[in-house]
Amino acid sequence: MLFGRKNKNPIKIADKGVVEWKYATCGYCSTGCSIEVGIDKKGEAVASRGVADADVNRGKLCIKGIYEHELFRKTRGRGNKPLIRENRWDEFQETNWDTALSKTADEIKRIQQQYGRDAFSIVSTGQIMTEEFYTLGKLARGVIGTNNYDGNTTLCMSSAVSGYKRSFGSDGPPGCYEDFEHTECLLAFGSNLPEQHPIIYWRLMDVREKHNFPLIVIDPRVTMFAQQADMHLAINPGTDLVLLNALAHVILAEKLHKPEYIEAYTQGYQEFAELVAQYDPVTASKICGIDEDTIRNVARVFAKAGAAMSIWTMGINQSTHGSDGVAAINNLHLITGNLGKPGAASLSITGQCNAMGTREWSSCSGLPGYRSLENEQDRKEISEFWGVDPEFFPKERGMFMTDILPAIETGEVKGLWLIATNPMTSMANTARIRKTLEKLEFLVVQDAYQDVETNQYSHVFLPAAIWAEKEGCFTNTERRVNIIRNVCEPYGESKTDLWIFNQMAKQFERGQNVIFPESAEGVFEELKTLSKGRMLDYSGMSYEKIEQSRGIQWPCNEEQSPQGTQRLYTDGVFQTASGKANLLALPFIDNNERPDKDYPFWLNTGRVVEHFHTRTRTGKVANGNKFSPTPYMEMNPDAAAELNIQHGTYARLSSRRGDAIVMVQLTQRVAKDTVFVPFHFHECVNRLALGLLDPHSRQPAYKQSAVHIERIENQQDAAQKNAMARSY
Amino acid sequence: MFKYQRPNEQSYAFLPLVNHPEKNRYGDSIETVPEGHELRGKSLNINNDDGIGDNANRYKQHGFYFTADNCISCHACEAACSEKNDLPSHIAFRSVGYVEGGSYPAYSRLNISMACNHCDDPVCLKGCPTRAYTKFAEYGAVLQDPDICFGCGYCTWVCPYNAPQLDQEAGQVEKCNMCVDRLEVGLKPACVSACLAGALDFGVIETTPENRTQLETTIPGFPNSDITHPNIRFQQTKSLPNEMKRTDSMPIRYEKDLQGEYQSKVDEKSQAMQWSFKKLSTRENPLVVFTLISQLVIGAFILLFIGPKIGIATITATSNPIVWPLFLFALISVQTLALVLSTMHLGKPHRFYRAFNNLKYSPVSREVAGIAVFYNFLGAYTCLTGLPVLFTWLPDAVLSTLVVVTGWGATLSGLAALYFMHAIYRIPARPYWNHWSVLNAFYGSMLSLGPLLIGSLYFLMAMLVGENNLQVLNNIALIIAIGITIELLGLYAHARYLKHHSGESQASHYQQITQFGKTYWLRNILLSLSAISMFAMSVINFEINLALIAWWAGCIMIIIAAVLGRSLFYALVIPTTMPGAFFWKNKGFEEHARESGLASRTDAGVLINAH
Repeated sequence: MLFGRKNKNPIKIADKGVVEWKYATCGYCSTGCSIEVGIDKKGEAVASRGVADADVNRGKLCIKGIYEHELFRKTRGRGNKPLIRENRWDEFQETNWDTALSKTADEIKRIQQQYGRDAFSIVSTGQIMTEEFYTLGKLARGVIGTNNYDGNTTLCMSSAVSGYKRSFGSDGPPGCYEDFEHTECLLAFGSNLPEQHPIIYWRLMDVREKHNFPLIVIDPRVTMFAQQADMHLAINPGTDLVLLNALAHVILAEKLHKPEYIEAYTQGYQEFAELVAQYDPVTASKICGIDEDTIRNVARVFAKAGAAMSIWTMGINQSTHGSDGVAAINNLHLITGNLGKPGAASLSITGQCNAMGTREWSSCSGLPGYRSLENEQDRKEISEFWGVDPEFFPKERGMFMTDILPAIETGEVKGLWLIATNPMTSMANTARIRKTLEKLEFLVVQDAYQDVETNQYSHVFLPAAIWAEKEGCFTNTERRVNIIRNVCEPYGESKTDLWIFNQMAKQFERGQNVIFPESAEGVFEELKTLSKGRMLDYSGMSYEKIEQSRGIQWPCNEEQSPQGTQRLYTDGVFQTASGKANLLALPFIDNNERPDKDYPFWLNTGRVVEHFHTRTRTGKVANGNKFSPTPYMEMNPDAAAELNIQHGTYARLSSRRGDAIVMVQLTQRVAKDTVFVPFHFHECVNRLALGLLDPHSRQPAYKQSAVHIERIENQQDAAQKNAMARSY
Repeated sequence: MFKYQRPNEQSYAFLPLVNHPEKNRYGDSIETVPEGHELRGKSLNINNDDGIGDNANRYKQHGFYFTADNCISCHACEAACSEKNDLPSHIAFRSVGYVEGGSYPAYSRLNISMACNHCDDPVCLKGCPTRAYTKFAEYGAVLQDPDICFGCGYCTWVCPYNAPQLDQEAGQVEKCNMCVDRLEVGLKPACVSACLAGALDFGVIETTPENRTQLETTIPGFPNSDITHPNIRFQQTKSLPNEMKRTDSMPIRYEKDLQGEYQSKVDEKSQAMQWSFKKLSTRENPLVVFTLISQLVIGAFILLFIGPKIGIATITATSNPIVWPLFLFALISVQTLALVLSTMHLGKPHRFYRAFNNLKYSPVSREVAGIAVFYNFLGAYTCLTGLPVLFTWLPDAVLSTLVVVTGWGATLSGLAALYFMHAIYRIPARPYWNHWSVLNAFYGSMLSLGPLLIGSLYFLMAMLVGENNLQVLNNIALIIAIGITIELLGLYAHARYLKHHSGESQASHYQQITQFGKTYWLRNILLSLSAISMFAMSVINFEINLALIAWWAGCIMIIIAAVLGRSLFYALVIPTTMPGAFFWKNKGFEEHARESGLASRTDAGVLINAH
């Protein structure tokens, strides 16, 4: 054997000089991975690693988590000082916190006095800590008193929330990741785990290496998940509800359902059975594009499994039948008794790291701890606890985010406070959103990044600390409350969101009479008190215990479940008035903008693994961004040949809303009449998308629009335009 | 030692204890050195830590296992590697590319994660002129020392898997280090430990990992393992479409043959015939100049030295006492310039002296040595014959002996240098180059360019003194014509070879007749015309004006053809490299990102000034 040189230099391998590892929970998606940040001698965060003994991720991290420590100092565009300006076309001036906060408070007061309390609106996020959500809720509901207060979770999880509430009487995903180990059949609707939730995919894959069970993926696109599945059902866009009703039809028709479960634990069977009777596999196949044999086969496999599980993500949620789709999945589980036992769950895979935290505690859709504004007892409890007049609370919830923006357009809402959300890029119909934001008399943007696109329209910018520059908790997809320890000081003069909310409260007379704990842990004590005895019981948790357990699944109380609870509804008792789950009759109405002669292609959107949301963070992590530094469109080569469009060139897309230039990637992964464009990029797919709203959840249907595609002759010009749109 | 083990570390991170055969499939011993060998029991001195790892398999060849069925292209392996090695975004030791096939919805995408294969026969180690590479007895790891490397990038040419990475910013090559620091403490490499799909594994080679059945040496898109005996094994059990395509800009696809093996084929993208002059300019431009000038200088010298002995006396020391030394020194200056250019082409030019470190194996070292010897003989010969006043103290016999020795020395070392220069390009991983016609091109250029220079000078001088006897010029024209003919014959054979040798060679040929088609045919026509004109000159005694036109027209055609031809030589090579992805490791996108300004506006992992 040839060895080469004998006199060898010492081997040099990069040594980041980590002297201490600090515990956190990943701040991207809601998988809820435990992550440790390595600190070097100088106190800089230089490395990230998975926590080996954390049950969720078992030491693994995805590409985003592996580079998460770069967020603190290495990503450009972080906000350092508060910024202020009179008009949105003026240059920003740096200012101090006192000025920025008092200016904001003055504007809120002015707008509320002039136009009414609800004319000032607050839209938050799924990105900040639970303690911060709760504090913001207290500020919004108890001090500022606007009913037009919502989170951007309306864009991702609203349909799941709505579907769960309609079926089970309450939000709260009933299952957990461990269910993969017990299930005998897994249906995945509009979910691309390998790309969107790689760690959950890994948990699933790890189980499947040991014992295999049918994995059935329903997706119009041949995703990596579809390719790894035992069966891939390439469904027509927007027709999941038809397939779900047809599956229920077969289960009932072939008597594969569990009458005793239905009888004991559900209500509404009659109406439900009558409706699904109309969705025979033959009729359904013509609409959803899945042949009748396959529908029957899948229904049988699902119903006959000892324990069956469903997961879904945006393919269901982001459609005009999002809420119905979720309820229809729940229907399948209810008629087969697949709930509340190991391996049987209808589990929505959540989007943002703390989408669950905002659902539970932010008071966006009601009051903290899954309480509702419509419930007098709930209003009374919270008003007493906070020390505010119960009459100060509205008696029903106000607008969703997707209704707040149109209310700005029509002049109903005059002022807006955005917290860690970026509607300029995330909302459908960019042109309309620009026009909307222009109309605001006052816009305050609170974000870790001052180059967040929406900041173009703000009057005040409040620089916030990011992720583990703060301390607090996130709740993940499987209801696991996990902790983020403070890893390093906030960048520059940025402040924690908790501090900003607390200071803002002091600007209001009413806020001076309400207690706002200074520390996150102080806030957590309030959550524990408010949750005791409720479904989302936190009372048995403490920061110390959470870190030691690597997260605890609620409900957790000292007496019954000190270590938390893996599954909900094990006793078959639901959160409805009667305690029974609702079987819902869900008719399908085809209201999508379907491809036609003028706009002949379906436009589908979705995520890629290296980016998160609008790339405010991941667009600046070079070692991830490089895998998709510019938007692209997956297009079928046969369709492209007809339009004389070549691989790697730019094409122009147009819809009834606007147009976009995008680089073409030819692949048979998509159908001939469908294109796919990732949603992360500014000035791209949302210039085209329609985003029709779900009637129950008000979530936009991002995944179904119609577009026209044309070849661009002047490629150099197109390249220039695309490059320009990447510089912000 | 290193504290990579996390508290309550998971089992997937630990290297398992396994039984392994004594020898691998190529007949090489899996144990790298026997018990008691001098290479045993030594510290790897990782970051000056003198500890010795307690890994029981420390002296066994290790390798990666890749289950292609499972890879989802999640980039976790790539990110874990880049994070651990603290790499800038334009460099990666491990990259995932893919091939895809079928039609919707019966579509398959095969992702391939690839780093260094720590080969049994590491061509990088042999090729490196500086001896920056070592194959360690420990784990059989092939490691490269950037502190020795001078950034010539030759290892990146010879490696079939694109493992060594030339960092044009740092001016050096770096590569996968097998995470030997983790191996020392019994842990699998960072990439393997990070894998989210059960695709990547690692261990003693030729052992079947847990839950796996296959130990294949090929999957579609992976180059033939005969070249280097790579230490990687594959599992790929799922049926794939008969044709798999690449998404990057390489015009290559893979087609299943009758034996069920995937063979690379050209992927014709119906490109029109173009000039593509811009794309002719590559990072290798200094080598275009260096190779042509070296061939010219050697050719010119040999004609000067041997010409009189075979009846082609042009310029001589005795008949042109002024022009002779001036001309020889001019040759030396031109050669010096070429040497400087080729040195500046290195990432770290100040380490140029390391070029001689690997005479035993590296054709680069031998070429440089050959040129250096030629250069010195040429210098000595020039001084001895051109500046005789300096050597009057030497006895005549000694002087004439020295002249003969240095003259023949320069001639032979020049010929040898050109042979080694050609050997540099005989790389199995670069089928476009790996053909005997490279030798024709190099010796052909020597025979055409050198005499062209001498002939032109002679012609000018003859015209100045009104000399009309152009017999000498006729003979020179014959030599030039022969030189061009040798090159043309080589090119003809080369084109025939390209058409059938491999997918990569077909792809090069395809590019040659499409993207560079007009340039290619212009070069061929110019060469043919100049050959005809030079043959004509050698047999027909043209009257002076016609001779003038024929000669100078020939000159211009030959020079243009030489520059175009040599530029094509570098621009057209398509290595047997791994498939890239749509953005990352896609040469087409990298070029686009630079041209469009995308690279400067967003972190695209593309260096803004690449060459």
